[in-house]
Amino acid sequence: MSRYMPEGWNLPEIDDLNRQFFTSGKLLVQQCTECGTVQHLPEDVCHDCHAMTFDWVEASGNGTIYSYVIVHHPVHDMLRERVPYGVILVQLDDYPSIRIVGNLVDVDPSEIAIGKPVSVSFEEVEGADGEMVTIPQWVAA
Amino acid sequence: MRGTSAIVGIGESTYYKPGGATETEFQLTIIAIKRALEDAGLSMKDVDGLVGYAEDRNEPNRLSAALGNERTRYAALAWGGGGNGAAAPVALADMAITAGYADCVVAFRGLAQGQFGRFGRAQLVQRVPGERAYRAPYGHASAPMSYGIQAQRFMYEHGVTYDALAEISLASYAHAQHNPRAIAYGRPLTREDYFNSRWIADPFRLFDCCRESDGAAAVVLTSAERARDLPNPPVYVRAAAQGMERRANAGGSDGSGYNDPDFPTAHYRTVAEDLWRRAGYGPGDVQVAQFYENFTGMVVMAICEMGFVEPDEVESWLKAGNIRWPDGALPINTSGGNLAEAYIHGMSLVNEGARQIRGESTCQVDDVNLSLVVAGPGAIPASTVLLSKDP
Repeated sequence: MSRYMPEGWNLPEIDDLNRQFFTSGKLLVQQCTECGTVQHLPEDVCHDCHAMTFDWVEASGNGTIYSYVIVHHPVHDMLRERVPYGVILVQLDDYPSIRIVGNLVDVDPSEIAIGKPVSVSFEEVEGADGEMVTIPQWVAA
Repeated sequence: MRGTSAIVGIGESTYYKPGGATETEFQLTIIAIKRALEDAGLSMKDVDGLVGYAEDRNEPNRLSAALGNERTRYAALAWGGGGNGAAAPVALADMAITAGYADCVVAFRGLAQGQFGRFGRAQLVQRVPGERAYRAPYGHASAPMSYGIQAQRFMYEHGVTYDALAEISLASYAHAQHNPRAIAYGRPLTREDYFNSRWIADPFRLFDCCRESDGAAAVVLTSAERARDLPNPPVYVRAAAQGMERRANAGGSDGSGYNDPDFPTAHYRTVAEDLWRRAGYGPGDVQVAQFYENFTGMVVMAICEMGFVEPDEVESWLKAGNIRWPDGALPINTSGGNLAEAYIHGMSLVNEGARQIRGESTCQVDDVNLSLVVAGPGAIPASTVLLSKDP
């Protein structure tokens, strides 16, 4: 899948906390091995029991739009051709405490609405540094 | 707290559009501090404490040397990178004075966006680290997006429309028409202008967004006892509060906290509880308020969370003119605020809150005893201060 944002636009810098989220090609959520709490963004410490060991659990990839913004003003020259675009906040159906930022890549931004069902889709992008990432994105369900 | 310290001087530089200042940011800061001290009838040598917020570049080390402070006893910075901290330095000064760590503390903010870059521009860095890695790749790369997502959900949950947002903007612009310091002085805004302005990030149009400015603002605080011997009527620090609810930052995004169990929130629910309890007053006792406008929708949320009106009622409350000077029950942003006076990261709102106690606002509310300042909504830790005429 080609990239929704322009080629060459910002990519995540991969670190130990986000490597699974951005390189596995799966929608993964951090889960505490001690108390089972799921949380996002991934953190060094469980927000519930403060343990420091985690597993990754795969979410179904189904969710609904919880909120959104439609960006009209390009905050960088590279985005001039991209605007207007939507940034959506997706609440996961199977982990409703988790909300993830993304784009709805297959429909016009005017069709974005709170409550609309969406499902995950991945963009595989190679950075200028040669490192591949798989960016979770969303399509209308 | 409870009137043990007071603001005794107010100062500011000229406020400019970004890039409009002929002075450097440091010079602007010195000018604001000098004017606040002159206003207080004090000299540079009296200052023994310097407090700031928002990662201010104008460090106490450089300032105290330039100001010629004889002896600095206290230097502190409130956490947080934005206007969330605007009321916090007043609290820090009050704490230091009340506890005896300093006698005369300057709280300040210097911000020259022309010199150091504007907030509303994103950078292309190829690889974005940390919390921003989860949003910048999606084109979520500036503040109106963080707060637009917050406000959009609030509007959805409470039936709030663009009309409510317009009321915030129109009030600030109307009030600025009385204030010669305001960048929008002489440039009134009509409802039609507001609705015809371009979208920045829906739900926010151009006039929903704060300005970006060059300038500096400062206040001087000292003990209540010493304040009574100085030329201005003391502006007592009745109460202050700073903080955030549990997991406020979960999910990231400039403190918007997309996975905060309380999302959407301006982060003032717990802070408001603390403020009113400490003050011994409630929202109904306040005559005038300054609400930091990063974006109008966040102000609507902050007004609700501070306890002035329920979210489901806020739109009709705003449309009824409650925030307009001179006839509203709670005139807000009487200088024009961040939208129409200048964007000095909210420090200018502290100055205006103090002016209302002194009776010197260009939109002066009658018989002010309690004047509230609420700092940046949506960013954390949030902060607020209640100023009073009576000790």
